[in-house]
Amino acid sequence: MKAKGKGEVKVITGNAAAAYGAMLCRPDVVASYPITPQTEVVEQLSRFHADGLLDAEMVEVEGENSAMNIVAAAAIAGGRVFTATSSWGLAFMYDAVLQASGFRAPVVMVNVNREMPGILAVSSGQQDMICTRDSGWIQIVVENCQEILDSVIMAYRLAEDFEIQLPVMVNYDGFYLSYLAEAVHIPDREDVDAFLAPLKEQPERTKLVPGEPLGCGTHGILEGFMELRYKHCAAMERAKKKFDEIDQQFGEFFGRSYGGQIEEYRMEDAEIVLLTSGSACGTAKAVVDRKREEGLKVGLVKLRMFRPFPREKLTQVLRGRRAIGVIDRSVCFGWNCGPIYMELRALTPEIGPVPLLSFIDGLANMDITVPHIERVIDTTWAAARGEPYQEVTWIPLEE
Amino acid sequence: MVKLKIYTKYEAGWSNADESFLCLDTGSWRTQRPVVDKEKCIYCGLCALYCPTQCMLDKGDHFVPNLDFCKGCGICAQECPRKAISMVAEGEFQE
Repeated sequence: MKAKGKGEVKVITGNAAAAYGAMLCRPDVVASYPITPQTEVVEQLSRFHADGLLDAEMVEVEGENSAMNIVAAAAIAGGRVFTATSSWGLAFMYDAVLQASGFRAPVVMVNVNREMPGILAVSSGQQDMICTRDSGWIQIVVENCQEILDSVIMAYRLAEDFEIQLPVMVNYDGFYLSYLAEAVHIPDREDVDAFLAPLKEQPERTKLVPGEPLGCGTHGILEGFMELRYKHCAAMERAKKKFDEIDQQFGEFFGRSYGGQIEEYRMEDAEIVLLTSGSACGTAKAVVDRKREEGLKVGLVKLRMFRPFPREKLTQVLRGRRAIGVIDRSVCFGWNCGPIYMELRALTPEIGPVPLLSFIDGLANMDITVPHIERVIDTTWAAARGEPYQEVTWIPLEE
Repeated sequence: MVKLKIYTKYEAGWSNADESFLCLDTGSWRTQRPVVDKEKCIYCGLCALYCPTQCMLDKGDHFVPNLDFCKGCGICAQECPRKAISMVAEGEFQE
């Protein structure tokens, strides 16, 4: 199947792209509380609603905790839901975030990455996403405004799939992508309807019905609790392949695809690999191109899915390389390195004992610049040649 | 792979009162049980109102606990205005 309409191309911000993506999927209930740098998502959705483009129950909430409780409840009542948050807002809804995944509620949420409380930084960083990595949500990280819109649409296919039934968090870098205006192709509504249509052919998921004696999230102890945790993990496991399939179908339908769990860039004969996520990948691709022109065999792996962690895919593309450098826009307290780096280390038995290097960069709106990424590639290349290297490098702090 | 025991058909913690309500054996938590003195009981129903697990059964002219669910918390004995309920250690009963 292919999209029938042409859609339209508009220059819009990342936040507007998220709102367009949500609006096109016709959610039944939208509840979100404004927070920098996400506010524009809420504004845009309210505008769509006022203009008659969004026929949803818009719930004005007093805070993020209520927002998540409302959308999680609406989702287990069978509704399609949307919410958006960032940083402190995500922290404020944390218990409800766990409720949503425990309910197996197919909530779709965009989280506009921003640094977390404690050191006041109204600025970009992925620490908020990292703080919820074990909350049982599917977490996707995207690179640009078009990918935001497309990923929100794909997120509904993933979250509401009968075999998955999990909440999905679509993450994009605050400030860098939230306010960046790019040309974005906005598909026709009918085409989005058609792309989401397969969900209607699936068995109906369990839902709350007024008058029927059914409750969700009630007592489950001992074996019952363990069984539900087991099923949750099994759904996470299925989500990886499912995400690849949805991405491929999206590509056939709309002509754009992103590789599913990971995107490989110039990886064919790469001897060393740069692994990173989010908006930094745009710059990284340009630097990889430049280094390739210099004759350096370097490739980029863009991590699109952080939870579940794409271990099979990464094993497949990283095995046999000579060294891997990872840029993280957040930290892993306790391991004191980057979180994606820490996760990659768990794959050492599969990919082999090659040098793995962690680079911390881009915290609190520090730009991940071309020279920074060149430095990462050069250092990783030196490690591949057998030169001594340090495990963790805090790039902007180096003299 | 080892086959796993499956207790519920649901993906999440759903409880359905019509078919597969997850029942807890709360009666096994009890270390003492309420014993009702029928002679003293005036059938006022306060024990049934206060019982957290709502397990006091209406016998027409007095109440008795449903020992399948009674946790032995003793609230009924505390609230009974006629002191008709006494809490007796489980060890006193041979079953």
